[in-house]
Amino acid sequence: MSTPIVEFKNFGFRYKTQTSPTLHDINLTIHRGEKVLILGPSGSGKSTLANCINGLNPFSYDGVITGSCKVAGMETKNASIFALSKVVGTVLQDSDAQFVGLSVGEDIAFALENQGIPRKEMLPMVDQAARIVGMEDFLLHVPYDLSGGQKQKVALAGVMHGDVELLIFDEPLASLDPRMGMTAVELIDRIHRVQNKTILIIEHRLEDVLHRHVDRIVLMNEGRIVYDGEPDRLLASDLLTRHGIREPLYIMAMKYAGCELEPGQKLSDIHELDLSPFEEKLKKQHLAKVDKYVPKIGEEILKVENVTFAYGKDPVLKDVSFTIKRGEKVAFVGKNGAGKSTMAKLICGIERPREGRIMLNGADYTSLSIKEIAEKVGYVMQNPNQMLVKDMIKDEVELAMLLRGRSRKEIDEAVKKALKMCGLWPMRNWPVSAVSYGQKKRVTIASILVLQPDIIILDEPTAGQDFRHYTEIMEFLDELNREYGITIVFITHDMHLAIQYTDRAVVFAEGEVVADDSVYKVLSDDQVINRANLKQTSLYTLAMRLGIEPEAYIEHFINYERMVRDHGKPAAD
Amino acid sequence: MENRLLINLIPGDTFLHRLTGKTKVRTFIILLVYIIMSFDIRLIMPLFILSIIGLVSLRPNWKKVKYFIIVITVVNLLNIVLFWLADPDIGSYWCGGGNTVLVSLTERLFLSAETLWYLSVRFIKMITSFMVSLVFILSITPSEMAAGLYSIKVPYKICTIFSIAFRYIPDIARDYNNIKVSLQTRGVELDPKKASLKSRLKQNALILVPLIITSFERVGNISNAMDLRGYGRGKTRTYYSEHEELKADKVFKAIYIILLLFCAYWIITQNIMPQDFRMWYPFV
Repeated sequence: MSTPIVEFKNFGFRYKTQTSPTLHDINLTIHRGEKVLILGPSGSGKSTLANCINGLNPFSYDGVITGSCKVAGMETKNASIFALSKVVGTVLQDSDAQFVGLSVGEDIAFALENQGIPRKEMLPMVDQAARIVGMEDFLLHVPYDLSGGQKQKVALAGVMHGDVELLIFDEPLASLDPRMGMTAVELIDRIHRVQNKTILIIEHRLEDVLHRHVDRIVLMNEGRIVYDGEPDRLLASDLLTRHGIREPLYIMAMKYAGCELEPGQKLSDIHELDLSPFEEKLKKQHLAKVDKYVPKIGEEILKVENVTFAYGKDPVLKDVSFTIKRGEKVAFVGKNGAGKSTMAKLICGIERPREGRIMLNGADYTSLSIKEIAEKVGYVMQNPNQMLVKDMIKDEVELAMLLRGRSRKEIDEAVKKALKMCGLWPMRNWPVSAVSYGQKKRVTIASILVLQPDIIILDEPTAGQDFRHYTEIMEFLDELNREYGITIVFITHDMHLAIQYTDRAVVFAEGEVVADDSVYKVLSDDQVINRANLKQTSLYTLAMRLGIEPEAYIEHFINYERMVRDHGKPAAD
Repeated sequence: MENRLLINLIPGDTFLHRLTGKTKVRTFIILLVYIIMSFDIRLIMPLFILSIIGLVSLRPNWKKVKYFIIVITVVNLLNIVLFWLADPDIGSYWCGGGNTVLVSLTERLFLSAETLWYLSVRFIKMITSFMVSLVFILSITPSEMAAGLYSIKVPYKICTIFSIAFRYIPDIARDYNNIKVSLQTRGVELDPKKASLKSRLKQNALILVPLIITSFERVGNISNAMDLRGYGRGKTRTYYSEHEELKADKVFKAIYIILLLFCAYWIITQNIMPQDFRMWYPFV
């Protein structure tokens, strides 16, 4: 524990392409065998910090270093990315792109191949690495057959050969479903304990990482370290909300109840935390009167009836039925491959059901073309860069109208309305490339809204976004729903999103709908949680420990939270 | 997704599949030289038969292979017909001046035994080179190909292009489909029945913008992932996919070395030294 493996001293870093430094005055020591979480909103410099340790900065991204950074005794600016890669293993966020081999075995072997290790010595090393992450039976699998979690395991196996002492995980949870994320956190913990590696996790999803113990949290904002210490003290403070990090739900619940949180308590572990000092306040809070939230829901708008669908022989969807009412906000949840994206494609007419009917406003519309259906159901893809084709915001938004040959007057009116709805009217003549990710997302939504669809479907609208951008996007969608009565379907892995922003969840597992109910009911049902790869929230655990019915507790929390949010009380900020 | 490609990503388990990439690449290159160097049916025919045996031994997915065989055969037939139309007398030059007319359509268009011989040999030669390539492609994985090329001193950075390209083609195809669908919902009409070719081409160009942007994002991530695992560090590297040489590899090695010597001898005596080029024609 005592010898340092990473030592930053008065360290600063400025990318060559930028005028001001991204990192300032970094003084940070990480000891051998520690497990450290680097926390911070997007743009806080946390990835830059990690890239200064593994050598991507300054060797792949040119930049200027001030001060000193020593990794395993090497001054990084005098070392090379190769020398550093012998000590530091990095698992990148994009588990797909970093899979460079054509099979699991090859990908794990990639670093060994580059070191010129003879194949005879390589084989046992690959086997061993694969066994550590539990992928030894998959060595001959191609990347296209693997889930995101499996690819991530392969990536991990591929960087932990030989003398690698420090493992860096760059947003390991970003593209995983809740259960896979939990498994990943457990795996990282096991490698920390069993393999004795030093671990550095870069994340903004604090609650998920806290599923297993971390020794220390480093909180960053605007290129500086604003906190460096034990997790409990950080949770007791107000630093998290001040710096745009979402607090764990149980901490939020305790703060709502007016509990006095002290650093001495085991706040980072919901199971170990001594609740006795708070019990009274928490129970009293549960009785507090809340406005029961009643969504403005109209008549039935979409009806899916006994729909079955298959790409080849094996059905992807089996006898699926549900309805959506006008003005509802519905979440499609479930693990990857459970059929939720396919269901969305069927609703948008991208695919057609083999059996069953899909009806909009009481009429079967499966005979219409994709283009015609798009005027009723809009589909917003996860990555806005895959949707944006024009240079200027206004041109992007009017494209769908233009392609339909509408009159200039009609187009201008519709575009103006869509831009105003999305708060983009003042920016209508801006180039698309000049705006932020969140604004790009708005542009894509505006370009769909211009056709005035009854329903919009959003695929992972907040993937990879930090809490501030997440809140911004979700508040905007909430407003669209409230002000304009637009029905919204979210396809999401994010249970926080489902809890906080939707009225109902349709849960998919193995091609079937296993639950169709309010989110708090779904999340208190063990059976559904297991079948759909979901995860209990910490509220569930908290309720159980307090001896309160979890369903009622989560519902109360959601209503209270919504009330605080709507009345603009300073709760989250 | 990857099933649409003819190539395998994971090595199969037949005799030819189990050879090393080095053996496959070297044998293939020498066989190509062997085919190209002569117009002699005595050399080409045995290889033609061997390539058929090789193809059958690989137990390929005939459904996919059939398509290629038909297309190539038709194209080559067309090719020799055009050859004949261009110069019906072409065989007499190659077969030593004779001109045994078999069928005469018009004054200019006639079929002589010499031309028929020449064109048949030409056809079999083309088909053989296709068959050998097909056997090669079906027997090798992109990683073995990279290893094999590396074994003949191709710089490994070039070898990597082969394996990496095959790795990411399906991903890019998936991106393309996503983008296409999102544009279709916005009203881009790609249905040939509903839009003219010109407007479809124009609208397909729209897909390119986001495709290029997302591909650039991916390339950045790939190159980081490779850097971080020490790619490009050394002058040499080894290959996980390249297993130790087995007995069959040693036998092949002996064969291709003999073949190489034979090719060298043939090229010097038959292609470089003689003044006039004639093909072997048994009916002089």
